[in-house]
Amino acid sequence: MTSPVPAVGIAGITKRFGDVTAVDGIDLEIGDGEFFALLGPSGCGKTTTLRMIAGLDFPTMGSLKIFGEEVGTLPPNKRPVNTVFQAYALFPHMNVADNVSFGLKMQKVERAERDRRVAEAVGLVQLGGMEGRRPNQLSGGQQQRVALARALVNRPKVLLLDEPLGALDLKLRQEMQLELKALQREVGITFVFVTHDQEEALTMSDRIAVMHEGRLLQVGTPEDIYQRPANRFVADFIGRTNLLEGTVASESEVVLSNGMRVQAASEHDFGTKVAVSLRPEQAFLYRRGDSPAGWPSIDGVLREVTYVGNALVHSVAVDWISIEVRTPYRSTEVPPQVGDEVSVCWEPGGVTVVAD
Amino acid sequence: MTLAAVPPEETTAGAATPEFERAAARAESRRGFLIAVPAYLYLIVFFAVPLGIVFAYSFANRNRFGEAVFTNIGFDAYRRLAEPIVRDILFRSLWLALLTTGICLLIGYPFSYYLTTRSSKVRNILLVFVMIPFWSNFLVRNYAWRVILGKDGVISRITDFLGLGEVEILFTPSAVVLGLVYGFLPFMILPLYASIERIEMSLIEAGRDLYASGWQSFRRILFPLSKPGVIAGSILVFVPSLGAYVTPEILGGAKTTLLGSYIVTQFLTARNWPVGASLSFVLMAVMLLATIVYFRAGGRNL
Amino acid sequence: MTAVGDRLLPGASVARVGDFARRFSLTRGALAANAWFVYLFFYAPIALLVVFSFSADRNVGRWGGFTLGWYDDFIGNTSIQNAIWVSLRVALLSTVISVVLGTLAAFAIERFRFRGRQAFDALLYLPIIIPDVTMAVMMLLFFSEFFDLLNLLFGADLRKGFASITVSHIAFNISFVSVVVRARLAGMDRRLEEAAMDLYASRWKAFRHVTLPQIAPGVAGGALLALTLSLDDVVVTQFASGPGATTLPVYVFGLIRRGVTPLINSVSVVMLVASVGLVLLSLFVQRSRGGGAVGPPGAVAAGRSRRRS
Repeated sequence: MTSPVPAVGIAGITKRFGDVTAVDGIDLEIGDGEFFALLGPSGCGKTTTLRMIAGLDFPTMGSLKIFGEEVGTLPPNKRPVNTVFQAYALFPHMNVADNVSFGLKMQKVERAERDRRVAEAVGLVQLGGMEGRRPNQLSGGQQQRVALARALVNRPKVLLLDEPLGALDLKLRQEMQLELKALQREVGITFVFVTHDQEEALTMSDRIAVMHEGRLLQVGTPEDIYQRPANRFVADFIGRTNLLEGTVASESEVVLSNGMRVQAASEHDFGTKVAVSLRPEQAFLYRRGDSPAGWPSIDGVLREVTYVGNALVHSVAVDWISIEVRTPYRSTEVPPQVGDEVSVCWEPGGVTVVAD
Repeated sequence: MTLAAVPPEETTAGAATPEFERAAARAESRRGFLIAVPAYLYLIVFFAVPLGIVFAYSFANRNRFGEAVFTNIGFDAYRRLAEPIVRDILFRSLWLALLTTGICLLIGYPFSYYLTTRSSKVRNILLVFVMIPFWSNFLVRNYAWRVILGKDGVISRITDFLGLGEVEILFTPSAVVLGLVYGFLPFMILPLYASIERIEMSLIEAGRDLYASGWQSFRRILFPLSKPGVIAGSILVFVPSLGAYVTPEILGGAKTTLLGSYIVTQFLTARNWPVGASLSFVLMAVMLLATIVYFRAGGRNL
Repeated sequence: MTAVGDRLLPGASVARVGDFARRFSLTRGALAANAWFVYLFFYAPIALLVVFSFSADRNVGRWGGFTLGWYDDFIGNTSIQNAIWVSLRVALLSTVISVVLGTLAAFAIERFRFRGRQAFDALLYLPIIIPDVTMAVMMLLFFSEFFDLLNLLFGADLRKGFASITVSHIAFNISFVSVVVRARLAGMDRRLEEAAMDLYASRWKAFRHVTLPQIAPGVAGGALLALTLSLDDVVVTQFASGPGATTLPVYVFGLIRRGVTPLINSVSVVMLVASVGLVLLSLFVQRSRGGGAVGPPGAVAAGRSRRRS
């Protein structure tokens, strides 16, 4: 049963620190039960946004609602949200059980009820038997689970996670990505997490908000964001892409800076400076002249081929730039050789036009 | 008659506004101030005000009974500092403090280096035996030398036994320096040890690998890297040596009056409060300067 | 040619290595000798003092057979007992008050921004930097003016004694406690406090349940420093005490200046044992807390050196 009221409703939130505007009037609605990512490079305002939802910073202005109730001016201990902090911030002088029960104690939950919920939360994150350990006796992954249990035991309406996997090594991080998602499905609580890692955001979230310099650039599903980036920054930040500079010639054509005309639909005005975004894995490589009829193509010379395990990454020198083309690796195929004259092509409609 | 219905307390907070943010920041700042205020007030009343009184007295004059009065205030007391007696005392104090610092450095540096070359287990034990004199009663430790240096003391007895006759080191400048070195050597050793211990020993090895001799690797690598410790230790020894009072009183003689004792005399016996106050201020200025040097040299804490 | 070279070169290199090793061991020997000398220098006077405190000879440096007589004298001496009593009361009271005020001051400075913070910071450092003698003079003039003022206003005739000594000890101990606690606070992750508040703790509860346990080793270290500074102080106390009451170090200092007697030996040994006991206690506390630092060595060193000249 999900509520029709958004779990988090942000309207016109701005945060200034002195002369610096960290968050610049953003509007955002996060639905009940969503796994939502705030994604952006460091300093983009995503952590400040999360801290404002938690109550650790007050907004300079704007409205902040949790399930329809205004909380923007409440202190953190009066808000129905809990946080998994970066590097976890577990209390070093308390064991696992005391860490997990801290929030319940502060809310004066009765002893029996508290013990029951702590046991439940510890079981949920599979830390049964570890209750007596101190944080420094736990591995990074275990600490992360304690942090989750400590927050979830309070049954928050929204769980906030600040770079929750940042402190883990790559392999553990990938494991925890799936586990976190499974956990979120199990408890059914809205998760809002902050990350600078676009791959992590794409893997875990139902929806992503991309932030840059205090503004929201795009909000959408991972597929939306990847396939239909709203602007040049999003296209460049999410995944790898080739940006071919040009200007809009008509609603279905862009003139690249070398004068070449490319079929690409856009809603931008005639003459707008844009870039055509071509994902490396959506580009195909053919020997010059072999390209399928009707496919847009650009001629170039193959400069470099890199074997990266499951794929080959080709670097093609076109007269004014270099284009990256990624093809699946098949040992039976004879790939074009370095120095060959090639064409880079794509399916009609396989590119996106983005403006600044 | 029923009571009028009390309107339900507003449960939802309002949206954030710049006014609210400012008010919250002000409340936060007020909270900090309130937490600080007991100590703040205490230090103002019992430290800043006394300091101000001393400052005021340093400009005071004396009436014919020798009492400090605030008529004809001026720099008289400071002018007196240029008089030969006071100047001699100032220079003697400076010289003895410098000598003490030099000796402490000379003994303390190799000692601290030696500590860092020991295994960590041995090192901890050795350090504890530096900490004990460091923490134990200063007056008593100075007094112990009375037993050794006096005319009937142990050293005199030994020289007498060897046929060299009785010697009395007590009540000489040497005895004062000895007492100061004894008192302050731990203050040289601990910061020195801390800074040498932080140096990567592989740097010394790299130096040796690049054909530096033992002396060269000390002069060009070890010593420059341990400089913060040298400066910290030197100041921690120099500053209290300069204002020393207890040591010269116990081990020094009438001829070795130092700054600290001279100031005390101005208050307790000579009853020349303005001169005593002005000297106290000069002494404090020197300490402040040394502290600034310490921070400039990268001393992270006091 | 090669044969000659073969014969010469190894020999030459052996000579150089040997030379190097000899010089190296020479340096090492000198370093070790210096270290032993330092320890002898530290402990020989103390050892002699202890030995002579059991000597029956009236002359402090002469062995006259074993006696416990000087300790008897010490125990029977009511002035010394009074002085010890004053010392202990001053030390405990000034430590308790300065630990509370100093910890609050450290917390305010480290965690808040408020008007007057920088001035407060400077004022907090001054008692550490200021020379003993200057501080002593400050206290003398302050109490003389203050008591004059009270006399003038209320006709109260107050004398320096227990209260004035305690007031002056608190004035320097607040700073030392706050420096030690601040170092500990600065090293503490602020997110812990935020986490506590996120978990429904009020400000006070976050301080009480998270901040305070985290800085406890610093507070304990500050308390220990305050306690020993108070128990050791001679100069400031001398100027803040009066005929009403005096502390043990000031009393002993007075005795020494009048001429040494074996009684002083025995009192000194007792004071020494007490302070060594405190050191060992602090080391034990540190160890049982898992090696938590008692404070920045610089602060402690500065404190010790400042307050004992």
